[in-house]
Amino acid sequence: MLEITNLKARIGDTEILTGLTLEVNRGEVHAIMGPNGSGKSTLALVIAGHEDYVVTEGSVRYMGQDLLSLDPEERARIGLFLGFQYPVEIAGVNNAYLLKAALNAKRRTQGQPEVDAFEFLKLAREKMALLDMDPALLNRGVNEGFSGGEKKRNEILQMAVLEPRLAILDETDSGLDIDALKAVAKGVNSLRDPDRAIVLVTHYQRLLDYVEPDFVHVLSGGRIIRSGDKSLALKLEEKGYDWVREAASA
Amino acid sequence: MNSTAIDTALLERVVGKLPGDTLTPFRLEALRRFSETGFPTTRHEDWRYTNLAPIIEVSNLWLRDAASGPAEIRVDDAVTKYAARLASQIDAYWIVIANGMVQMDSLARLGEHALRRLDAISVASDNLMQPVSAEEPMTRFNTALLRDVLRVTIRAGDALDKPLGLLMIDDASDGASISQTRVIIETEPYSRAQIIEYHASTGDNPLFANAVTEFELARGAAVDYVRIQNRDPAHFQAGKLMVRLRRDSRLRHSAFDLGGGLIRNDLDVDIAEPGATVELYGLYLASGRQHIDNHTRIDHRVGPAASTEEYRGILSGRSRCIFNGKAIVHKGADGTDARQANHNLLLSDKAEIDTKPELEIYADDVKCSHGATVGQLDKSAVFYLRSRGLDRDEATQVLTRAFAATIVGKSTVQAVHNHVESLIDHRLQTLAGGLS
Repeated sequence: MLEITNLKARIGDTEILTGLTLEVNRGEVHAIMGPNGSGKSTLALVIAGHEDYVVTEGSVRYMGQDLLSLDPEERARIGLFLGFQYPVEIAGVNNAYLLKAALNAKRRTQGQPEVDAFEFLKLAREKMALLDMDPALLNRGVNEGFSGGEKKRNEILQMAVLEPRLAILDETDSGLDIDALKAVAKGVNSLRDPDRAIVLVTHYQRLLDYVEPDFVHVLSGGRIIRSGDKSLALKLEEKGYDWVREAASA
Repeated sequence: MNSTAIDTALLERVVGKLPGDTLTPFRLEALRRFSETGFPTTRHEDWRYTNLAPIIEVSNLWLRDAASGPAEIRVDDAVTKYAARLASQIDAYWIVIANGMVQMDSLARLGEHALRRLDAISVASDNLMQPVSAEEPMTRFNTALLRDVLRVTIRAGDALDKPLGLLMIDDASDGASISQTRVIIETEPYSRAQIIEYHASTGDNPLFANAVTEFELARGAAVDYVRIQNRDPAHFQAGKLMVRLRRDSRLRHSAFDLGGGLIRNDLDVDIAEPGATVELYGLYLASGRQHIDNHTRIDHRVGPAASTEEYRGILSGRSRCIFNGKAIVHKGADGTDARQANHNLLLSDKAEIDTKPELEIYADDVKCSHGATVGQLDKSAVFYLRSRGLDRDEATQVLTRAFAATIVGKSTVQAVHNHVESLIDHRLQTLAGGLS
């Protein structure tokens, strides 16, 4: 589904991704872990199409297409979803409006009929109940005045409504209390599907107690230096990142 | 023709031709004082950015016609049609003032319910004595040529079931036209009302509309006021609203400048007694070569009292806007809380905004803040929306609209929301031409 080969990317004069290779197949859940500054968020933003990052080498293919040649909105419409580490507050743009516009943009591209207001509300309320979210948040400005936990749940709500083929969740677990973490994990688990792939970008092992990954990768210095199964995450939690780095450079 | 000053000899002849009535002594006094100064020039600090030459030119054209022709004010059918269309869009008790003359048929249509809760009188028609102020050149010019005054009193007790609408409409179908509109609004203690002041114009010739409103909020009165300026893009306006607030009164004023060629608005708020609350909101949208100048002044004469002000602007093309917000906290006005903000979105690098908050504080125990921003749309918000599948144009449109919608949401006069929102949507489509 997603094939990243020798990806190099920079912002300004700083090279952040230094030759990253990763393959994600449908049905799989991958966790990408790594210390601060290792390039985790950059990887997520490059895949989503952020213009501040310039890809200097390598390729990203998604469902057989050259992802890097597409605009961010085109990527979204063919089933890519990025859950932001810092969701943007947009005063004056109704949360429900954005969700519906996003859903219908995707449906148009995929040749499906648009949903009307009634169908949309039913769907949104259903997903909000799953995430234990206050339905009133639907009528607020996008993330406007939301708490940290509400913002992250709102990202998961968008994902649940948009039903992407590939979801990349950037530090969705950071800053969450245990109840919010469980609600977010429930939302993520509900989307596990043989046709869908999920990439969890995270600093801590905590989320992985609730969402069990098939593969764990360690990102350091802009590339993946070690891959393994779930037990790798536990080992990282116990021993920190240094031993992997030492092992990689040895 | 000299276009840098009003031809005062012509002005004297025109004032002299006006029929003698109870306004005559005020006209003559205002004429005398106006003749000493003429219109303000850009050498005057408050008029630095707004050159009145185009307004002076129209005024001199009109004065020449008025000095030689009949002094009658004729109301075109276009005005009647406009008023009817507006009434079908905004549900309010409408009083129509056309080219400065209160339209008696609109007073007659107010109906029993409205007239139990307010008095509305055309001073000219009732031949009433109505002292009118003439403190500044533009107001003196207005007073010198005054033909009529609308005087409204809002009664205490139950509020009207709909807003009171004042349609200030001016027609330039027959040639260059200038108009002087004057409204005096009084409120009884503890009365409440929603008031809409709507500025519109018809006709293809040059037009300068000069409107002055004097407004006093009595003790405990609460008024939500909306000013909508939706003039023809070729027409000019100078509008002034002078408000005085008595003890514990509350004013929420929302101003929307969505049309006009050369527009200058002055909003003067005088907090005369303690306990008053003032909220001023404004939105101006400018494209092409539009020039929109908003000057607000809040005099905190006593405390405690609170004023909040937020104006927003969206500019494209080669338009130019000015925001000048002055707050003066006078000696002894302790317990004053004055906050002010002005945010601008520039959609073109040829558009210009001059924003200037001015705070003068002569009291000790005060809280004051001000801030101004000028910029483009938040890039991270654009990317966020695009990452959800909205294309770049759609994201830009949504965010621009949201920037404006914040100000619409501040007004509690629900009756105007749909109308204002559709005017904004329509204007934003024009402004989008300046995006690239």
